[in-house]
Amino acid sequence: MTAPPRAVRPEEEAGAGPLSLDDPESFGAVFDACFAEIHRYVAQRLGTDHAEDVVAETFLTAFRKRASYDPSRAGVRAWLYGIATNLVGRHRRLEVRTLRALGRYGPDADAPAHDERVAVRVSAQSLRPELAAAVAGLDRRDRDVLLLVALAGLSHEEIAAVLDIPYGTVGSRLSRARRKLRAALGGNPMLDPEEAGRG
Amino acid sequence: MDELETLRELYGEPQADPFLKARTRGRVEAGIREHLEAGARGRRGAGPRRRTGTGPGRRLPWAPAVAGLAAAAVVAAMTVVAGTTAGERAGPGRISTVSGRSVLLAAATTAASEPAATGAYWRVRKLHRQPHPELLGRGENRYRLVESRITEQWVARDGRVWSGSRALGAHPAGKADEDAWRRDGSPAEWSSRGYVLSASPEKGRIKAAAKVPFSMAGRAMTFEQIQGLPADAAALRDWVSRAVREEAAAGALTGTREAGTGTGADGGGAGNGAASGPLDGPLDGPLDGPLDGIVADALSGLLWSKPSPPAVRAAAYRALAELPNVRYLGEATDERGRRGAAFSFTLRTAPVPVQRTLIIDPGDSQVLSSAVTGPPGSGGDRVELVLEAGWTDEEPAAPGLP
Repeated sequence: MTAPPRAVRPEEEAGAGPLSLDDPESFGAVFDACFAEIHRYVAQRLGTDHAEDVVAETFLTAFRKRASYDPSRAGVRAWLYGIATNLVGRHRRLEVRTLRALGRYGPDADAPAHDERVAVRVSAQSLRPELAAAVAGLDRRDRDVLLLVALAGLSHEEIAAVLDIPYGTVGSRLSRARRKLRAALGGNPMLDPEEAGRG
Repeated sequence: MDELETLRELYGEPQADPFLKARTRGRVEAGIREHLEAGARGRRGAGPRRRTGTGPGRRLPWAPAVAGLAAAAVVAAMTVVAGTTAGERAGPGRISTVSGRSVLLAAATTAASEPAATGAYWRVRKLHRQPHPELLGRGENRYRLVESRITEQWVARDGRVWSGSRALGAHPAGKADEDAWRRDGSPAEWSSRGYVLSASPEKGRIKAAAKVPFSMAGRAMTFEQIQGLPADAAALRDWVSRAVREEAAAGALTGTREAGTGTGADGGGAGNGAASGPLDGPLDGPLDGPLDGIVADALSGLLWSKPSPPAVRAAAYRALAELPNVRYLGEATDERGRRGAAFSFTLRTAPVPVQRTLIIDPGDSQVLSSAVTGPPGSGGDRVELVLEAGWTDEEPAAPGLP
């Protein structure tokens, strides 16, 4: 991550020309294009009450470190997710507390379920505490990879780039995390028919 | 469904309050400015500061109607804030406590006599106003801007929900700000290092929202659940107190979730950074925020942010009348010049005290406005004015200008 700042890849565009980190003006366009999803990710991990600070710090950090952004390795969006992930990592206790609340009462009460998900939610409800505890119990590095896949939708390649870890490590951390989640959810035929069949 | 899908269900979809993006953008642009200025100081012979086409030099048409509203608003807000401090003192405070109770009980009687659902949709239309966190202008002509937004929430009887929003633009906060703004050349658009604030309103937007749009003390509430709340004051107070205790125990009330600024959110503004309950382990500190403030907030939310049936609204007024932490501040005028009775309660005490002040119209039992103490240095309260609340046969549409 040492190349000079440049325009991002075409798929990162928000419809109004290429995004660039070059100066404060174009950085504003990056903010506009990416604020909502970065906030969503941070609020999911740390709760809405604390997301605002971390999200502001994410964009400030991005601006300060824009010279180290390498567009050949990852898009701006993925890069911001990487910065946010590192900042979230400084709030481990808060993340654990947020997970505990999610486990007991489900997602932020201000953020209701999508209609089509209500039925699913009911079936998963009884396992929320177990799942939340399993996520909280993961090694932080495994959890980061897991959530960058599940919540941010980043590819293995993007995760390797923005967390600065080898490509193979992304896969091994992800499978370890998923294995632990499956174990926590095991025994519920609604969620894991294969294992229930074996058991 | 695999475990990643289950995981996404666990995390759900967080919501952002209407001002969050603008607020965060203000913080980021201030940080960038500091960073660049620090960098410029570090270099010898730094070049002149860049100005762009969206800088203060460019003028756009001013929106006089909204500007007048903004100026009037701040004057009214100051009146209420002054009353808040006065009401805390012993002498007048004690006397007014008695009459405050009678005001709330009178409002309860009015609320109880209102007809139940009388239209196809329940709708609340609010005007939100909050000071922009940065001072703008050049040289000696620095001034505070206030940003305004209209939000609407519509609920059909079958539970379908729509949220509407419309930014109204930014305007000088008060008379002194307006004078400084004129000396600065009366710009209608402001640029802070690449970000643009405009005096012009945006287009209105409306979209279908999720089905559980309301929250009370951090707990999700459907339209049907609100219809089923207790209609007896003591039973309602107990129900709300229990919900608040449970949410606090679950850590759902941590921090400063802004009551009322989200879609129908209220009641979650209290608590503190480490709120927890007896069920939690040693990881969490003791709860030192006043839970009674959250109870008052959750009860008051039933009066103005939710489609509560008349009997439930009446019960909420009666329950509030008996709460010792609800202070009566006397008669007050809201930012639109509507007269009413002002009540206040403390949402949290640490790290800085945060209060909500409501102005209600005892004549028709409607809440006229709410003001919540802004963070230190933010330039003032965050205010919501209720422009319309109740049942209507109009169809959901993008919010019009006030």
